[in-house]
Amino acid sequence: MDTSRSALLLRKQLNELKKNPVEGFSAGLIDDNDIYKWEVLIIGPPDTPYEGGFFKAHLFFPGEYPIRPPKMKFITEIWHPNIDKNGDVCISILHEPGDDKYGYEKASERWLPVHTVETILISVISMLADPNDESPANVDAAKDWRENYGLFKRKVARCVRKSQEES
Amino acid sequence: MGNCFKAMSGDSLSLLREQRDSVGSPGDILGPPPPYQLTHQEAVHMPQFLTTTASSNTSAVVGTPSMAGTPRSTQEVEEEIKHAQRQGFIRHLPKGPFDGKGGKECPICMGELNVGDLVRFLPCLHCYHVECIDDWLQRSLTCPSCLEPVDAALLSSYQAP
Repeated sequence: MDTSRSALLLRKQLNELKKNPVEGFSAGLIDDNDIYKWEVLIIGPPDTPYEGGFFKAHLFFPGEYPIRPPKMKFITEIWHPNIDKNGDVCISILHEPGDDKYGYEKASERWLPVHTVETILISVISMLADPNDESPANVDAAKDWRENYGLFKRKVARCVRKSQEES
Repeated sequence: MGNCFKAMSGDSLSLLREQRDSVGSPGDILGPPPPYQLTHQEAVHMPQFLTTTASSNTSAVVGTPSMAGTPRSTQEVEEEIKHAQRQGFIRHLPKGPFDGKGGKECPICMGELNVGDLVRFLPCLHCYHVECIDDWLQRSLTCPSCLEPVDAALLSSYQAP
């Protein structure tokens, strides 16, 4: 897949999202001249500790998209077992099929070239509501979530307040 | 398609051979690699044409004793074999001009499937532009739409010792 085709596919998705926005997030480009770098604003899902928060994240697509997945990084501070302390999202659907050295991720849970910005964000929003503590990227957050949920919620609430001040 | 797996695996191997011939691998001229490039076990189990293919990019090693200390790692060789096997395998999946049946757009590039476009059909009957799906199959032998394994029986016949 040459790069012009990936650009075409991303452009198509951007236009579609502008025309028919999806509930739960908004999406645009960081720089209008670079279709490979997206900025998204995720609304903290209701009935989760993230409710009321506005979390900004960046998506970086490779030229080989959709054969290879993008990387996703939260810019707004967020406390979550599957988001490391630098904001990098560690979710199996963003892992390339060859990456699973330990074989504990099913093919259906890993990257597929049919994934779009929309399906990625739906997965990320569902991850916010339902962390996977089997392979945490933020071990401390996973420990809080498992062992001291009250403390976990307080730490998340602090991020939510901060995100409201920033937005 | 299930009843011709055995025959197909033989065909695939011959295809690999043809492929090597068509690219004019230096392995042809240089002959088999010196034994230090492979462990004894691999040398026993690997078909001759694969070992020569694997050495084609390391022609510099041949006759350069100073480089004998840096043979290609087993992993690299395995990768290359896997790649060649995949290519041989992918070629066996039916392809042809799109006849207007089985979908309107290619699920990978989301581009329209026009009648006459060259498409590849997977065993689950999902079809994609050849250039879109071949890139993907090189990485994963699953249908991106339904996750049906494309390979199962055939790949296990490749990997049998």
